[in-house]
Amino acid sequence: MRKSFVAQNPSVLVFLICLSLFTVVVTVLAEGFGVGALSTSFIKTLGKTLCLCLVAIAMDLIWGYCGILSLGHFAFFGLGGYMVGMWLMYARTEIIVEGALAQGDIPPTPQEIIDGIGNQIFGVVGSSDFPVVWTFADSLMSQLLLVLVVPGLLALVFGWLAFRSRVTGVYLSILTQAMTLALALYLFQNDSGLRGNNGLSGLQNLPGVTAPQSAVSLWFFWASALALGAGYILSAWVVSGKFGSVIRGIRDNEARVRFLGYPVESFKLMLFTLTAMIAAVAGALYYPQAGIINPAEIAPIASIYLAVWVAIGGRGRLYGAVLGAAFVSLVSTWFTGGQAPDINLGFYTVQWVDWWQVILGLSFVLVTLFAPKGIGGLFDLLKREDKA
Amino acid sequence: MSQMNTLLEVSGVSVSFDGFRAINNLSFQIGPSELRAVIGPNGAGKTTFMDIVTGKTRPDEGRVLWGEKSISLLALNEAQIAQAGVGRKFQKPTVFEEQSVRENLMMARRAPRSWWAVLTFRASAQDRTRVEELAQEVGLQEHLDRVAGELSHGQKQWLEIGMLLAQEPRLLLVDEPAAGMTPQEREHTTDLLVEAAKTRAVVVVEHDMEFVRRLNCKVTVLHEGSVLAEGGLDHVTANPDVIDVYLGR
Ligand SMILES: Nc1ncnc2c1ncn2[C@@H]1O[C@H](COP(=O)(O)OP(=O)(O)OP(=O)(O)O)[C@@H](O)[C@H]1O
Ligand SMILES: [Mg+2]
Repeated sequence: MRKSFVAQNPSVLVFLICLSLFTVVVTVLAEGFGVGALSTSFIKTLGKTLCLCLVAIAMDLIWGYCGILSLGHFAFFGLGGYMVGMWLMYARTEIIVEGALAQGDIPPTPQEIIDGIGNQIFGVVGSSDFPVVWTFADSLMSQLLLVLVVPGLLALVFGWLAFRSRVTGVYLSILTQAMTLALALYLFQNDSGLRGNNGLSGLQNLPGVTAPQSAVSLWFFWASALALGAGYILSAWVVSGKFGSVIRGIRDNEARVRFLGYPVESFKLMLFTLTAMIAAVAGALYYPQAGIINPAEIAPIASIYLAVWVAIGGRGRLYGAVLGAAFVSLVSTWFTGGQAPDINLGFYTVQWVDWWQVILGLSFVLVTLFAPKGIGGLFDLLKREDKA
Repeated sequence: MSQMNTLLEVSGVSVSFDGFRAINNLSFQIGPSELRAVIGPNGAGKTTFMDIVTGKTRPDEGRVLWGEKSISLLALNEAQIAQAGVGRKFQKPTVFEEQSVRENLMMARRAPRSWWAVLTFRASAQDRTRVEELAQEVGLQEHLDRVAGELSHGQKQWLEIGMLLAQEPRLLLVDEPAAGMTPQEREHTTDLLVEAAKTRAVVVVEHDMEFVRRLNCKVTVLHEGSVLAEGGLDHVTANPDVIDVYLGR
């Protein structure tokens, strides 16, 4: 008989329980409302990690389930960050400028305020006019909508061109790398309208909010946990049932799926666009916690790391992507954040900041060769022992 | 006009691969509920013929017309041709090895194919019973929840035949269905194909003469990409050209 969605996908329930417990424990231990065992900057690291887990789920959907090795999903992640960053920067600068102008004798005209904001934001790139892309920056609702619309549209157009010409495999991966590189190079230009290599900054300050960062960091942590939970449920629903069958079929034998009458291109396009939007939501939550976004964030290597996380975690299972992203990014923060003590071998000092990259690269190779199921594969071993 | 008497009409079709003519001015017709065997030596172009009809290979010239309205299949892509009602079984069994027999059959089962329809699809009681019936028909009822990759070669052949029937196509193209089957399994396959051909057109490519004899239908002999002879099995096997190129060896 038909079983409920949760009964068919027990991992969803387990995941949600773990995520809720984690959120509660972190909240209790945090500085903001709890006992203060966890610093605000660590709460931000955890919140950002949850966002990385969400984008890893998107990567797993498109690569692990549908076999499309996109090496460009971090571009969508970054675009999501830019969209929300524009509003944060605009609204906060507006408050500052209004405050400054109110000091004068005559009340400022709206035009003076706009000019003031323009000067503040675009002074670094030698301009003061608002570029067209900032048209909706004064409206939070519009920018939140653009978080979905801009990356979604880019994915739709790019995917349509690529899938229609039946570009697959390595060629598609290269094409997605080219896309993210082109986007990064464009954003690096001062006249791109998004402040060139300065990027957008001060994003951790919520306009009009006087609460301390210790509280704000928890809000974002909660929002990230909520988004991850929702993204997990959505993804689990998408890959269960017939749609999941079809996309896994596309991964394993695309031509055969076509001969069954399924329009393979439209399935790919839909999934590519959906995962781009999930990535964008993750980015929109990540960058206010990071405080700054600049074009270096969407350099091609970032998207490659994303694939590495999913591979290490175990592709083709959602919790694998989450484990991979959480594990690798946290370990990576530890090694590159200067917390790991350098090892002095006498003749040579191992500096983790440099050597971590080597370790990561090596573990990627080892996992690919010897444990293609990644960390998630360990759960299979447990299951098998259960049965035995 | 009374009843349609041609479901598929292939005429004057040629295709070359790097200058080699794999199909040479081929013409072929089949009616809406007809069983046809296609035989011919290795490399005669039997699989290529199926590739052309299903949209995998574009011919250099010729026409492929389909159905009452004589629409050209050459203007459609693989998925559209399949949706129009052409189902195909490959020479090498191709099932989705990582998915269960049930999932394979459910995926093949006739239903709207757009991504939205698939995403919102909920299997009805009727869908589930039909999948179980199909599994029964091809002898896989015990294996519904097994992963297809675990099945034997013969069972994979069966599964693919089951998937073909699940699609409910108007034309079945079956490439060497009996390869790797035991004599009893072959017999069962014959029965299934004969049964299927009562309500639809079935084209079977097969090397095995005994198998073709049991199908008891009109036979088309292909050689070097075109039709060498057509008619009853006894008729074509008596043809000196056929004996020369195929049976005589
Ligand atoms: N994609 C291709 N590229 C080049 N040559 C091809 C291609 N497809 C088929 N051929 C050639 O066309 C000829 C016909 O091949 P086809 O597979 O249709 O033969 P067949 O009748 O199915 O043979 P068999 O009984 O061995 O399955 C062969 O010589 C084959 O090598
Ligand atoms: Mg063949």
